[in-house]
Amino acid sequence: MNTFVNRFSTNNALSVIRKAQAVVDDDEEFSDAAWGSEAGFGSLAKGVPSFSIPAVHDPTAFLRLHTDDHADPNCRIKIQHGTTTLAFRFQGGVIVAVDSRATAGSYIASGTVKKVIEINPYLLGTMAGGAADCQYWETYLGIQCRLHELRNKERISVAAASKYLSNLVYSYKGMGLSMGTMICGWDKTGPAVFYVDSDGTRLKGDLFSVGSGSTFAYGVLDQGYRWDLTDEEAQELGRRSIYAAGHRDAFSGNTCNLYHVKEDGWRFLGNYDITKMHYDGPGDVPGSAQVAYGYDVRVEGRTSSNPPAAAATA
Amino acid sequence: MNPMNTASHPQQRQFNPYTENGGTILAIAGLDFSVIAGDTRQSEGYNIQTRYAPKVFRLTDRAVLAVNGFAADGNMFVKKVKQRLEWYRHAHAKDMPLHAIARLIQTMLYARRFFPYYVYNILGGIEDDGSGAVYSFDPVGSYERETCRAAGAAQSLVQPFLDNQIYFKNQQPALGTSHPAHLPLPQVLRLVIDSFTGATERHIEVGDGLEMFVVLAKGHDLAGLEGIAGLQEMSTKSDGERIFVIRRELKKD
Amino acid sequence: MECSFALTGKGYVLIAADTTAARSIVKMKIDEDKIKSLGPHLLMAYSGEPGDTTQFAEYIERNIRLYQIRNLYPLRPPSAASWIRRALADSLRSRKPYSVNLLLGGYDTSNHTPSLYWIDYLGTQAEVPFACHGYGSYFALSLLDRYHDPEANLEEGLAVLRRCIDEVSKRLVVSPGKYRVKVVDKDGIREIEF
Repeated sequence: MNTFVNRFSTNNALSVIRKAQAVVDDDEEFSDAAWGSEAGFGSLAKGVPSFSIPAVHDPTAFLRLHTDDHADPNCRIKIQHGTTTLAFRFQGGVIVAVDSRATAGSYIASGTVKKVIEINPYLLGTMAGGAADCQYWETYLGIQCRLHELRNKERISVAAASKYLSNLVYSYKGMGLSMGTMICGWDKTGPAVFYVDSDGTRLKGDLFSVGSGSTFAYGVLDQGYRWDLTDEEAQELGRRSIYAAGHRDAFSGNTCNLYHVKEDGWRFLGNYDITKMHYDGPGDVPGSAQVAYGYDVRVEGRTSSNPPAAAATA
Repeated sequence: MNPMNTASHPQQRQFNPYTENGGTILAIAGLDFSVIAGDTRQSEGYNIQTRYAPKVFRLTDRAVLAVNGFAADGNMFVKKVKQRLEWYRHAHAKDMPLHAIARLIQTMLYARRFFPYYVYNILGGIEDDGSGAVYSFDPVGSYERETCRAAGAAQSLVQPFLDNQIYFKNQQPALGTSHPAHLPLPQVLRLVIDSFTGATERHIEVGDGLEMFVVLAKGHDLAGLEGIAGLQEMSTKSDGERIFVIRRELKKD
Repeated sequence: MECSFALTGKGYVLIAADTTAARSIVKMKIDEDKIKSLGPHLLMAYSGEPGDTTQFAEYIERNIRLYQIRNLYPLRPPSAASWIRRALADSLRSRKPYSVNLLLGGYDTSNHTPSLYWIDYLGTQAEVPFACHGYGSYFALSLLDRYHDPEANLEEGLAVLRRCIDEVSKRLVVSPGKYRVKVVDKDGIREIEF
């Protein structure tokens, strides 16, 4: 119980740093476990993650100096930013859709990023903000969810899983973690979506979008959303909203990954090229009207000009 | 200068343990092989520190790691990865599988989340199922399996070339034909050499020498590798996966 | 925060602008009209730096009117847009530039074509089928990509405009409360109760 209190009750950055510094002192000395089967677990060798901290007065400022590309675009370590992710709950489960672009400044570092993290067969997490932060902590969350299952002989609820993650990142508040994630799944209460971010915010809701392109996704998503959407309509709406963001936000784009969570767990529906959706539509997929999403393609040949009948013939 | 003066003035100091040492690395996965390459120039600003500083390292008989960024961090990191792999070998009497090495590198990088290694890693090799694989990492450990990846000073020169030649981006296949999903080894080697000669032409931090590691899946024939200039075998066994290194000169100006 | 929208439809341009005049954290006025009629078939919505906005809009209004008096005919929308853009561009290169963003909608009675121009305070001009200024653009542009139809009748056009305003009211933290909507078509300019 004491360890629990120690880990989660501290919320000011200084005490966290002090705690981490104490841990790092003996981190260089690897435990015997590191020699055995646990050798593959890296910083998890002791079961609890431990981190090296620079020996300076203000480690957080140190990190910010070298990684924060908002303050200094020339800083050396670029952490991935810019994304569009969305998830919404509806009658038929949860739809999760994301783009696949990673940018470092104005360079497109990758167009094939997997921004949906498959925590376990019933839980999905989305990735916005620091790619490593999301990948690492959501993988770690997966480990904890499995332990919960083994200890309690039942699956963890989406609420509990998201709360675990929320408490975890909150304990690092002020140290520079950056993540905005939706934890999505199906539990005893039905479909569930929780928004969790590195500020410590945790919100239960029906519809969220996160990232630099989120406003553009919201514009299409909100206008097309109803609770009683059919599965196919919902999938099309997710795809269409990511397309909209990819089209309008320079930091989002490349492809869209689409997932559907139902009672029996999540299913990956496909990867859709945003340029292809612009010119030809998403192809022969359920819910698609088989038309191009692009504005210019859609309105080709249509004109606002309104000559009277006589003038038109003249 | 009056010593009293320096003492009375407040001085500001900044702790900056990072620098950028230039160079470029690159890896391409084939169907049953992978190629991991890097140039050997090490520089700081406009000064060339050395013309031979390896950036590509053999980890096991089927895994090769390329590191780029801050050389001191890179060398330290490779050393630590090799140490962990040795421990694993002692505990399990076998080499760590490639996908597990990738995850190990993630956790090792993330352990330094608040004091990062300023290193971009690319891991290449052969997966347990015999397929060629490339994993690329950011400095704090986010990673992804890919078919090809360039990192470092000339990544923005090399990656678009690779996108065009490996993924056939912005290319239309001739009528009635399709683009191959995997390229043969000789063609991949030609692409790697062209990438680096091209980058050397247009980037001041790339040049001097080229080291290409080739990892072949178990039972793979030498596929045109025999008789190639500057070839050296690095594998410890001849019946498993095999590693070769090919060294070439690059322009030195 | 200030928001303005405009879109073209079959034979008309719709322009909507919020009606708040704010200073610091205070709403000074909630029924300000920020859309000026520059002629029988020309509308201009303006937003930006308080003071600059009305000064610049009135200067434009008077000069466009002067042109009409001198020449008996008003400037057609493309010419008006070019002249206004140039006025902004000259101002930008002066000692004290106006920072005003504009949406200019007009109906050209000679070729029966409605046209819409997006102009920002730097003198960037674009002819577009729909446009927004302010934070509203982050939500409305993707929506208009999806729902705008150049051949929509007025009722359909108003429905799309309603979607934009609803979306901004729903999502924007500092969303304006009320909008004034005007339309320009072959019959001239009308205000529409919204």
